[in-house]
Amino acid sequence: MVDLIWATRGRSWGFRFLLFGGYSDPLSAYERAFAGIEDDVEVSRRAEERVALRFLDPLNRVDAAGRIIPHDFVVWGPLADDIHSVEDGIQKVWPLVVDVYARVWMNEKAPVAKEIQSAIDTA
Amino acid sequence: MAPKVKEQNIAVFGESGSGKTVLLSSFYGATQEPSFLSSNLYQVLADDTSQGLRLHANYLKMSKAAQVPPTNRFDAVPYSFTIRPKDGDGAAAAPSSSFGALRLVWHDYPGQWFEQDPSSDEVSRRRVETFTKLLKSDVALVLVDGQKLLDYAGEEEKYFRMMLGGLRVGLEKLKDDILADGKPLEEFPRIWILALSKADLHPELDVQGFKDLLVEKAAGDIVMLQQTLKGFVQAPEALSLGEDFMLLSSAKFEPGKIEVTERVGLDLILPVATMLPLERVAQWAEKVDMPLRMLGGLVDHANEFAVVLTGAAGTLLTKVLSKVPKVGPVLAPLAVPALAELIKSGGAKLEEIHAQALANRDYLTATLTQFRLDLDRGVKDRLLVKSPW
Repeated sequence: MVDLIWATRGRSWGFRFLLFGGYSDPLSAYERAFAGIEDDVEVSRRAEERVALRFLDPLNRVDAAGRIIPHDFVVWGPLADDIHSVEDGIQKVWPLVVDVYARVWMNEKAPVAKEIQSAIDTA
Repeated sequence: MAPKVKEQNIAVFGESGSGKTVLLSSFYGATQEPSFLSSNLYQVLADDTSQGLRLHANYLKMSKAAQVPPTNRFDAVPYSFTIRPKDGDGAAAAPSSSFGALRLVWHDYPGQWFEQDPSSDEVSRRRVETFTKLLKSDVALVLVDGQKLLDYAGEEEKYFRMMLGGLRVGLEKLKDDILADGKPLEEFPRIWILALSKADLHPELDVQGFKDLLVEKAAGDIVMLQQTLKGFVQAPEALSLGEDFMLLSSAKFEPGKIEVTERVGLDLILPVATMLPLERVAQWAEKVDMPLRMLGGLVDHANEFAVVLTGAAGTLLTKVLSKVPKVGPVLAPLAVPALAELIKSGGAKLEEIHAQALANRDYLTATLTQFRLDLDRGVKDRLLVKSPW
């Protein structure tokens, strides 16, 4: 289990949580982490031992309206210790999800979070 | 003492990426331009300063950095604006009005809420709460995405079916949650306007062409959506969908540049939100055999607006109306026919009332008559099709 909340969208499917970070509902933890920086295009901010991290898709993949897809994460635990910038986040966090995202982003229907978690746990 | 405010709600429905947040940002941002106040009789103030700053920042980022506003992810936000007629300089209140300003509440929400089930229970709860509020609006705009229309050129019916069907299915899925006690709603958008967003991508289409395209390719889907809407509302005979159409363009988008001054139809949003429901109430009162009280809050709006709109005319009816002590259903049988008469009498009469209100520095009446005249201008400019009387 990785200490990670991940919210993103696909080309056709809209924003949703793909990793819950062990929460039954990660929304309030996500909103606490991004409070006040909701509109930032890219961000890395540490608060209360957690890092709110957002970066644009490193492969410039876009949604159906042509907007580059952002990836939002809340990171804590040992993984968070090494993240001090957006670039750090891309280096440390993106490799964890890059393969599974490549498999699902073009799907017509949104992926199931449990399957995403399972794919990452077994990778 | 602060003026009493009359609230109107507008619901904007559109898929993710159809331009809802851009439209809202462009609408508000344009009203904050220094030139706006000098050329209009009213100002638009955000009731929540931080919301106003956020929208204005969106607008400026579009204009200066060609950056589109961020999308809503998991939250819906009601934006509330007060439309206050100019004051100072000896401005006078409308003589018979029971309000002095308008409030427009515009709900912005993630477009995908109709397209997929939420990934979280809390998002699911917010979705129901948002649409329960949203569906108490007077007017709904359904955005037809101009970019998707281009993508489906030659087979537009596929896009229309997907878009209108998605809205219909989304509403059906939420129906049990929204109609918590199973009873149809009294307060519900009774006017559903089909609006082409990103209209700048279709310079060859005027609003009549847009209407023709929809009717030709999607009449059946519109009828099906209409049937669904009727299942939500009391007195469903007073409901219009497929009668009103408009063109909207928040800006001209070019590679690396967003020209926010090239807007289409945005100055019709306030007139549409405030005046179209009144006009329609007056129509329904004449056409449909039902008690006016069945139209819920729309009748209250009609009452109070009618008093303001006819107030400057100095007619015998105005005097009668101004003597009726209670605004509400008691007034409706007098006010609604007065409103109907005013609207039917056409632009010349309205121009006269407008000019008189300006001369009297009664900027509330002047603003409302201007809004009503703007609807006629929208029709003339082929940006708006509204149901004929």
